[in-house]
Parts: sequence; structure tokens; C-alpha cells
Amino acid sequence: MEKVLDLWAAYGSTVVFAMVNAFFALSTYAVLSVGVLSFATVVFAAIGGFLAAQMVAHFQTPLFVAFPLAAIAGGLAAAVLAAAFLKLESHWMALASLALVLITKVVALNAPLLTGGVNGLIVPAKASPLELAVLLGLATLIFYRLYHSWFGLISLAVREDPAVASTMGIPPRRIQFIAFVISGIVGGVGGAALAFTLQFISPETYFIGIAFSMIAGTVLGGSFHWLGPVVGAVVFTALPTTVQAFVPQIEDVAKGVVLLLIMVFLPRGLIDPRAMRLRKANQKTTPQPVAGKDAVV
Amino acid sequence: MQLSDATSSPGTGLTLLKLHNVVKNFGGVAAVGGLSTEVRAGSVHGLIGPNGAGKTTVINLITGIFHPDSGNIQFDGNAVQNLLPAQIAAIGISRTYQNVRLFKGMTVLEQVLTGCYLRRGVSLWASFLGLPKARARWAETRAHAMHLLQRVGMADRADELAETLSYGEQRRVEIARALGADPKLLLLDEPTAGMNSVEASVIGRLAHELRDSGLTILMVEHNMGLVTEFCDTCTVMNFGRLLAEGTPAACLKNPDVEEAYFGRKSDAERIKSVS
Repeated sequence: MEKVLDLWAAYGSTVVFAMVNAFFALSTYAVLSVGVLSFATVVFAAIGGFLAAQMVAHFQTPLFVAFPLAAIAGGLAAAVLAAAFLKLESHWMALASLALVLITKVVALNAPLLTGGVNGLIVPAKASPLELAVLLGLATLIFYRLYHSWFGLISLAVREDPAVASTMGIPPRRIQFIAFVISGIVGGVGGAALAFTLQFISPETYFIGIAFSMIAGTVLGGSFHWLGPVVGAVVFTALPTTVQAFVPQIEDVAKGVVLLLIMVFLPRGLIDPRAMRLRKANQKTTPQPVAGKDAVV
Repeated sequence: MQLSDATSSPGTGLTLLKLHNVVKNFGGVAAVGGLSTEVRAGSVHGLIGPNGAGKTTVINLITGIFHPDSGNIQFDGNAVQNLLPAQIAAIGISRTYQNVRLFKGMTVLEQVLTGCYLRRGVSLWASFLGLPKARARWAETRAHAMHLLQRVGMADRADELAETLSYGEQRRVEIARALGADPKLLLLDEPTAGMNSVEASVIGRLAHELRDSGLTILMVEHNMGLVTEFCDTCTVMNFGRLLAEGTPAACLKNPDVEEAYFGRKSDAERIKSVS
């Protein structure tokens, strides 16, 4: 029992941050899986985070109300953004969302009433690891169901070839809109989770750091399966701490090296249903070793 | 039901698709310059012409990928030239592509299931929640997709990744996917490109089977043997304009068509005299 507690003392915060990062990675995955690269997750996180923090600070809102509020706010923001930006071509969409992240920071810095401005905001509440785990479980369940429903199938169609999908009666824009709203909801929850973990937030909290870890999470884990972003976020968060235990000097390098290795050798991430299917197909076509023939190489 | 003016051409004689004076320019180039033609219900209609004649542009105009600059397109009596691709699909037109465009990462069955999107009979929401009704409909749709794969002879490959199949097999999967939405009109854009004559005649026979089960087919085709053997009627285009119309045999005898494909007779004689 003591050993477990020791372990938790050493790695507990890593686990918690891995869970928080998983929300951001899932939010990015939601739009990536319909073929849209967007950094707007950072914006949704900021909205969710500041709203949840203010609700708790001013109205003593309990967490089980603050989280849904953050989710709704993120979803609404996403709906507005999607209506405005979805008509852009994919790379312009990515750039526009990046610009939005920069704008969000400036706005947040200049609205001290809402965000605490440069001084930041103390968050008088903390989410327990168990609460975060339950929330993440719920989010993952939603993505699991999406993946195994009609939405998952036509998402892949829209992602791979929206023009072809549309000639089959699938409305690509509407599917992307829905995905964006889901991304906003999960991003908002992630932002609140971060606020209730750090217990101190400022405009700096919701900036490039989140953008980096959410993209890294989806690249590492893969954006073709609901499990990918969760695995990616865990690996990306745990890697520095683990490596540090063995070779303290290369902590920062390790992150970059692992990302590069994955991009070169597993461009579709650690969890890739297509690769699994290819492997299965190869096993089928290569003749299985027959009993009694083991000696023959 | 039959119109009195129905000639000996097969089908019900009713016009299913009608293009009237359709014009489409790309910059200064007239890809389609005032084309009028029609496709009768229940026929296999060939759309032929030399490279660059504008055949694929016509397909793209019919499916709403492009909108005509002027002129109109009528399907089943309704003007459709301003509809979006998804709306065109919903009224019963589906298509295949000149260069097979299957979805990467999907199995053969999933490709066809995606094609069945319009006949899924259940909301995305119900499907997400996994309601019993949604499950039942999913099983039904899946069975339908398997049936379509059987029809094109690909049922035993249902669980394979489509991109690992041969080119000819991928084309057949694409046809099954296009059939998924229960279309009235199927547009095949060069369905036999890159196939040998045996594979090509399999496609031709499939087109006949589909026609006999009530589908109308418009196919862009380069293989003249296939057109004469399997098309009931055809439209010949050149430089975006109508060159000839009628039965394949009559079209091919047309001197304009011969000229478009083989060059001018006088030129040929001149070349002969030079050499």
C-alpha cells in the first residue's frame, strides 16, 4: 500500500496531466477525423476554463455544474467559428484557427474583469483525479460510440474525399460542423479540467503549450481511431518524466526525437486501424506454417 | 405508360435525363458548348468522343460538381442544374469516377456501406445511441451492401482493405458503392479504362443486368467494341458539341464521327501521296 502511495506521489501529477491533455487531443481528433486541422481547441479551452473558474469563484458553482457549463460554452463558440470558417480551404482553415489563438490571448490579456488579465486568476476549486477519470471515460465513450456509428463511417469518407462523399448524398459541411461542435464541447471541458487542476490560470495557460501538446498527442497516438488521441496524450505526457528518471539530460530532446520517429515510421500514429487491417491481410496471404513442416525454413 | 413516339430503342421510351443547350466554360475554353441530348429510361446509353471532347465535364455537370453557365438539365422532369452534389445524389443519380476514387483505409464492405448512406433509414443520433431500431436497420443495410457486392462478384473480398485489390476489382467495388443509394440513373465514367477485353465485357454484361433490373445507365466509354456491343443508344461529342446521336452502329457510320476519330479522308490521302 505504501509503495502505491509512493508511486502516486511520484507520478500522480503526470497521470492527471495526461488526462487533461487527453481532452485536448480528443478535441483535436474530433475535427481531424473529418479532415479539418484546427488549433481552435485552445480557444475553446480558454473559454471553458475562464468561464468555469469565474463561476466557481463568484457563484460557488459546484464542479458538476461548472463542467457542463464549460462544455456548452465551448460548443457554442465552436458553432459560431464553424459557421464562419468552415468555408475555408483546409490549410487556410488551419492558419485562421492559429490566428484566432493569438487573438484570444490578446483579448484575454485585455479583459482583466473576465480573465484576471496579466495577473491571472486563482481557481478556488480542485477536481480530483477520480472526477477527471470519470469525465475522460465519458468523453472516450462518446468517441467510441461515434466511431462505431454511421457518423464514424461517413466521417472517414468526408476526411478522405469530401467531393466523392457528397456525390453519395453525404453533406460534408454539415458533418464537419457537427465535428466542430463536438470538438468545442470536449475542448471546453478540457479547459475547465486544466483550470481545476492547476488552480491558477492566466492567458498564458491557454496558449501555444496546449496547441503543441494536443497536436503531438494526435500525431503520436493517431487520428484514425478514438483510442489514438488518448494513448498519444498519455505517451506524450509521461515520456519526459520517464526518460528523466533514466537520462536526466535528454528530457527535452526525447520529446522531439520520439515525435520525429513516429512521424517517419508510423505517420498515421500508434493506433491505426488501416495498418492493423493490412497486417491481417498479409497474414492471410502468407501461407501459415503447417504442423510437421516446422523444420523447413 | 409507353410514349407513342417510342422507337425500337429499348427502355420505356420515357426521357429520364435531358440536357438542353448546356454550356460550361473554363476561362476562355468552352468545355461544353451548347450540348443537347437525352437519355431514355431503361437504356444503356454511351457517351463517346475523342479525348478532351468534354465527356467527363458533362458527367460533372449532371452530378452537380459543376454548374452550367447556361442551359438546363432535367432529371425525371425536374430542373436539377442548380442542385448540390448531395441533393443530386438524393434524387437518384450516382456515379463512378474515371480514376477510381475509393476511400483510403476502408474495407470493401465499408465502401459500399458508405454508398448506402441515403438508404440507412435511421438518424445519425439514433445510430450514435445504438438504439435497437438503429441496430436492426444497420444489419439490414449491411445485408443490402453484401447483396450488392455479390452482384458485382466481390462478396468474398468484403473484409479486405479496398486499396489492396487490383484495379479491375476496385472498379467493381466502386460500382457497388454507387448502387448503394438505389439510384435511378447510374453514371459510369470510363468503367473499363485499364481493363483487358475479358474484364471489360464483364462490366458490359453487368451493365446489361443492371438495366434489366430497371436501372438507366449513362457510360462514358472509349472502348468502341464495348459501346457497339453493350450500349443501346449513344451520344457522340467533339469539342464540347454534339456530333451524332442514335444507335452505336449508326453513330459510327456517321462521316463526322469517323473524321473526329480517324481524321479527314482527304488528309489521309494527301499523306499517302507524300510518303
